[in-house]
This record gives sequence, C-alpha cells and structure tokens, in this order.
Amino acid sequence: MKTLVLVAHPHLADSSSQQFLKESLPATGIDWEWLDGQQVIDVDQEQTRLRQADRVILQFPLYWFAAPASLKQWEDTVLTRKFVYGDHRYPLAGKELGVVVTTGMPGKAFQRGGAEGITLDAALAPLAAVAQRAKMIWLPTLAIHQFGYLDESEKLQLVIRYQRYLTQAQPDSLTSRQAWFAERLPEMIDRLPADQQAKGKLIASVFEQKSADLDQLADTLALIKEQSDD
Amino acid sequence: MTENAAWLNEQIDQLAQQQEKFTDRAFWLALKQLIAEQDRRADQLGGEVDGRTWSPDQW
Repeated sequence: MKTLVLVAHPHLADSSSQQFLKESLPATGIDWEWLDGQQVIDVDQEQTRLRQADRVILQFPLYWFAAPASLKQWEDTVLTRKFVYGDHRYPLAGKELGVVVTTGMPGKAFQRGGAEGITLDAALAPLAAVAQRAKMIWLPTLAIHQFGYLDESEKLQLVIRYQRYLTQAQPDSLTSRQAWFAERLPEMIDRLPADQQAKGKLIASVFEQKSADLDQLADTLALIKEQSDD
Repeated sequence: MTENAAWLNEQIDQLAQQQEKFTDRAFWLALKQLIAEQDRRADQLGGEVDGRTWSPDQW
C-alpha cells in the first residue's frame, strides 16, 4: 500500500507533535509532503502523487475548527473540478482519505455541551464532502489531543497507532491488527542485534500460534452457529 | 493473567527495553498489547463455544 501524507502546518519545525509524527513515520510506503514548504504548487505533480496513492492522509493542527490555510489553498489549486469529477473519470475513486488532526483541547471538549461545542466530525465535514464528491472512502479520524500532556507510555502507543493509521488495512479490527503486525515481524526481528533475535523469534512464534488458535476458535464457533436453529 | 502470559510479557518488556530506537520499542510494546487482546478474545470465543455447546435441548 502506498500512502500520501500531506502535512499542513505554518511552523512545522516549532511543532513538537508534528516532529514526533515525522519521526514515527513507517520506514516504507510513505510519500510525505509539507504543503507550507512549497513556494509554488505544481498541480500536475500533486495530481500524479494523488493518483499513485492508495491512501491519502491530511495532517494538520485544528485552527478555528478547520485546517490551516495552506491545506485549503492546496485543495483549491490541485483539486480542480476537471481532475476530481469533471470528465466523469473520478481518478481518486476507491482511494481512502484519512485525517490526522492535533488539537490543543481534550477530546471531551469536542461534543455538544463540551468546551468547543462541536464534534470533530462536524468540523471536518467539508473535507468528508470532498471525499464523497471524489468517490473516496472516508476513514475514521485519528485525533491527537493535547500532545504536550502525553506521558512516555502514551507516546509509545501513539507511534504505532499513527503507523497503523497510515498503513493498516481497514476496518481496524483484531484481524487487521494481527495481519499488520505479522507482516512487520520478520523485518523487526532482522533488525534486532544477534543476541536478541532468539527472543524476538520466540515472541513472534507465540503470537502466530495465538493468531492461529483464534482463527480456529472462530471457525468452530461459525460451525456451531450454522448447525443451531436460532 | 496466567503464568504463561506473565512470562511472555516479561520477555517482551525485556526486549523492548533493549531497543535504542523509540519506534522499535513502541513496536514491541504494542505487540504485547495486541497479544493481551488476543488472549481476551480467545477467552470470550472459548466461553461462547462452551456455552453454545452446553445445550440441554440437544442432549
């Protein structure tokens, strides 16, 4: 899978959350682009990058319940009517569109009665409408609230949540999660120093056995359900 | 948590601690969480298999 990550942030170097996400990018399969870093938007090149991607991620801090201006400028320039649907060819159809949004307020603020009084889904509705118009598949949003308050353990979890959001098959089920880890384990074991590889392999084999056991249990259950009358 | 699960967690924690890269450490710790999720799901599915199999109607 090829994922295009478009980052909109006027002061990227000063943003600890954006720097953290950049450091957390998966090693392969990612085309990363900082929208504010371009003097001129090359429309053909941007459209080519979109065509080549299976999943497109829009990543930005929430400014006044919307993305920073650079994303809107990119949309208005690159997503021409003709490109998106004008000639009835829909080159983006079937691709996934996801949003990684950082907010300074906690998650509970984004609901009716909360401090912000609006849900993130409501704030991001214009982007979801673009996805629908382009016949893209809208992914559930990955929201990162109050990054500065995360402790070490939460940051460790965020690394993998973010990597999975960029590259894991949807929907985010246990089966998809197992497949994502199984695909990466051989390379992760290879990267271990020689004296740690045996332990890595042992852990991997237990994980694989548990995956197989779960499959078998699910099969057994399906069989029982099929045979019962209810 | 069973003895086996505790032992496995310890192995993963040790391996994670030895990783210099933050993202590598994150990977192994996330795998530990996923394995815990597998164990929970296996318990639940196993319980459902038992429950559905234990059916006096079909004796």
